[in-house]
Amino acid sequence: MQTNDKNSTLSMLISIIVSFAIALTFFYGLDHLVMSMQGLPLNPDLSPAG
Amino acid sequence: MNDKHPSNQPERPSTQIRWRHRLWIALSMLLLVSGWVQAAEESTTLNSITPIGVVQVAGEPLIAKITPDIADGDTAEPIAAPRPSRSDYPNIGVSSRAIVWILAQLHLFFAALVLAVPLFVLMIELLGVYTGDERYDNMAYEFMKISLTGFSITAIFGGSLALALFVLYPDFMGYMMHVFGAQVLVYAIFFFLESFFLYTYYYGWNAFRYGNLKWVHLSLGLMLNASGLTIMVLANSWATFMMAPSGVNEVGAVVGNIWEIMKGPLWNPINLHRFIANIAFGGAVVGAYAAFKFLSTNDPVRRAHYDWMGYTSNFIAILAFLPLPFAGYWLMAEIYAYSQQMGITAMGGILAWLFIVQAVLIGTILLAGNFYLWAGMSRTDGSDRYKGLIKYIAVVLVVCFLIWVTPHTLILSASEISLLGGSHHHILGPLGIMPAKNVAVNLMLVATFLSFQLYRRSDKVATVSWAPMGNALMVAIYVVAIVNIIFLGVYYGYFTNTVYKVGSSVVQVASTLVVIIAGIILDTLMFRNAKTLPSHWGRIPDRAQYALFALPIAFTWLMGLMGYVRSSVKTHWHVYTVMKDNSPDNFIPTIAYAGNMITIVTVLFLLCVLFMFWVANLSSTRQAKPAAGGAV
Amino acid sequence: MKVLLKTLGFSLALTLLFTFVTYLLPQVEGEAPVEKEVDLSSLTMDDFITLGEDLFNNKGTCTLCHKPAPLGRAPDIQGTDMVTLSDERLADQRYQGEAKDAAGYMLESMLDPSRYVVATWGKKGTNDSESPMPAIDKPPIELSAIEMDAIIAYLQAKDGNDVTVALPSPEDAASVASTDQKASDATALPAPATTVEEALGKYACNACHAMDSSDTLVGPGLVDVGTRLSKEDIRQSIVDPNAVIAEGFAAAMPADFAAKMTVKELDMIVAYLLEKK
Repeated sequence: MQTNDKNSTLSMLISIIVSFAIALTFFYGLDHLVMSMQGLPLNPDLSPAG
Repeated sequence: MNDKHPSNQPERPSTQIRWRHRLWIALSMLLLVSGWVQAAEESTTLNSITPIGVVQVAGEPLIAKITPDIADGDTAEPIAAPRPSRSDYPNIGVSSRAIVWILAQLHLFFAALVLAVPLFVLMIELLGVYTGDERYDNMAYEFMKISLTGFSITAIFGGSLALALFVLYPDFMGYMMHVFGAQVLVYAIFFFLESFFLYTYYYGWNAFRYGNLKWVHLSLGLMLNASGLTIMVLANSWATFMMAPSGVNEVGAVVGNIWEIMKGPLWNPINLHRFIANIAFGGAVVGAYAAFKFLSTNDPVRRAHYDWMGYTSNFIAILAFLPLPFAGYWLMAEIYAYSQQMGITAMGGILAWLFIVQAVLIGTILLAGNFYLWAGMSRTDGSDRYKGLIKYIAVVLVVCFLIWVTPHTLILSASEISLLGGSHHHILGPLGIMPAKNVAVNLMLVATFLSFQLYRRSDKVATVSWAPMGNALMVAIYVVAIVNIIFLGVYYGYFTNTVYKVGSSVVQVASTLVVIIAGIILDTLMFRNAKTLPSHWGRIPDRAQYALFALPIAFTWLMGLMGYVRSSVKTHWHVYTVMKDNSPDNFIPTIAYAGNMITIVTVLFLLCVLFMFWVANLSSTRQAKPAAGGAV
Repeated sequence: MKVLLKTLGFSLALTLLFTFVTYLLPQVEGEAPVEKEVDLSSLTMDDFITLGEDLFNNKGTCTLCHKPAPLGRAPDIQGTDMVTLSDERLADQRYQGEAKDAAGYMLESMLDPSRYVVATWGKKGTNDSESPMPAIDKPPIELSAIEMDAIIAYLQAKDGNDVTVALPSPEDAASVASTDQKASDATALPAPATTVEEALGKYACNACHAMDSSDTLVGPGLVDVGTRLSKEDIRQSIVDPNAVIAEGFAAAMPADFAAKMTVKELDMIVAYLLEKK
């Protein structure tokens, strides 16, 4: 019973971390993509390039 | 809109029928979309060619076809736009502009309504065919019934408007007729077509109700929409020609063919914007009807029906409303691209104050829409899971709303600066500028979508195995999107240059869209074969219905306001840069005057709509026969 | 009936609330520009400068964009000494225009704003080669030559510089009036040419330019003009012939083609000349 709880907590934690990783990567890419589409490139730290 | 109703489950149509459905839908979508796509495609190719001048040199077939006709006539010379002096405008004692203003706005209100209603009626009817649930069909028919008189009212106001324009602005209308010529006849033909399809569609409803005849009926509805949309885009070209004339030279002489005159730079942005706004507006108006019927009865069955009808109308209105800011953004960007001066007149000059009123109106719409969704959660037993979130959404909405209405950074005249006590408000200054407002607007849209998503989830329990992962992803998308929107607004808005500031607003919009699209996709996948909890139509507090009145009132007022802005950015021109307005009313009135005018048209519209609903109800009332032979 | 009254009351109250919001905002009217009669015989330089300031703030709509830094969409003018600035611009190696002095630079900036675009203020994506500013002598602003001179006088005087533009004389006024007259005559334009030959004939191009040799008649021969000039240059040479004048030639070409030619005619002629290689 206890191990089961532990497992589900762990898998919950993993899925949350994975989800945030996906979302962060996606929006980071979106910022770069949409800005550069407008001719406004960004540095990797998102500050304006050039 | 496939909510679970306490009704019988639809039978699964056979594969053959499903194929026919799909084919029919594919065909109708093709018909509807092809016109738009074609217009867009053609305009892009022409745009890329025109600057080099190849179009003209190669002798575009259309020019070749039309030019000889004109050359053969007596008026071989292109005629420049007239330059009437003030005495050329008939003076009838009251403001000509006020008369035209009222008539045009009433015409537009009803036109928007009668264009929108058949559109979603067709959708609902189709939904009824798909689900086999007769209640959709009945509701669609009822929507048609209550807006039927609207078509005549539209025509009456349209006729009065044309008459008023010809009498009060003869030179201007003469020029417009000269420019558009035979296109007006095409317009008239489509008007007759629309009437034909309208009456066959409405009166044929029960005659063509089942089997193959239903497809005949749906096709009639499609043709009704097609002719209606054509009428709209034809009429839009007149308005956009006045704002950004094309196909004429500097003095207004016609040098292009009718297609070049119509496809000005603002035509498609206006077409799209009006198309979407009409749907939102139409949904809101019929929602008020449902709310009224809901409040006037105590019969649980009727209350359930009108609750459902009100919910559907609100759903249509809010769903169409969400993409509207983006269409508006496109329109505004095109206005700036066409003429920076015109853009600034609208957004930074004297008209900019009106955008504060706009913020109040849109805030009202969003708050009312959200409130209705929250109140509607009481219909389902499963909504308790989400009720805790409502107060946070409410706080976000209110805070964002307040930021949004904080006065803009404006291009101020000396008198305005003295009224405001400085070009920036001394405390609220940093909140009054565009990046803060962009953050606020996007967060409001995200919050509204969250309300909507929670409402949709409230009667379902996901059964797919990956539901926890899906929920985690959805939460992550919301959190990261909100952080991203705030980051973009604060960082680029306050710490980098103007170009990046403007560019970042596009990313903010994209983030909002991602949330909406991801939410729809995730929920569709997650709640496939979901367990549904019982929901009780009609179980909603009476006060929630007032949200359904607030929506159409705010929409009507908003349309009146934005229509006024759209028309006023031309300032003292009938046709921008081509034909000057020398009438006594060629100035931009004060905001309060405009507010009064908009209120007058809103109230008149309200009365006309009441009349329309009353007439619709007459048809289902039957006077009791007086007792025969009784003492009279 | 009770429901009707309640809902109607609610709707009206909401409508009035929106109306009320409009009453809270500043009440300003946007007047259309009024044609002002200027009595030239009694005009003093001070009047002229005041006229310029009024034009700058109102009819010219300059202040829509030219505002102090965080507000403006164009360089600040009223907070800058424009004479000093103009001299700096003229000395800039990016400057390609024709102006020789500050007044000339200011006039050129109004007539052809793209001639010199201040760095970072160009249209997005044009790398500061194109200005978002409209030509001030064209609709919708349409200032006359006298009005633009008045603005220059104002811009010079506001920072204590000497005013170098001359007061308009009655003869100037007469010439302005006659061009106005011409403009209104243009309501009945001659029929547009349908072929390039017709267009060349209509505007009598070959009276001064040899089309099939490089011989000089009045203007330069155009047999190889397509190799010498870009499309934009050709276009400009027709629309605004005095902007760039070929070496060794006087400014003899009529400057009113921009007003006479239709867009189609202009495009035909430009395309025709571009083919001459």
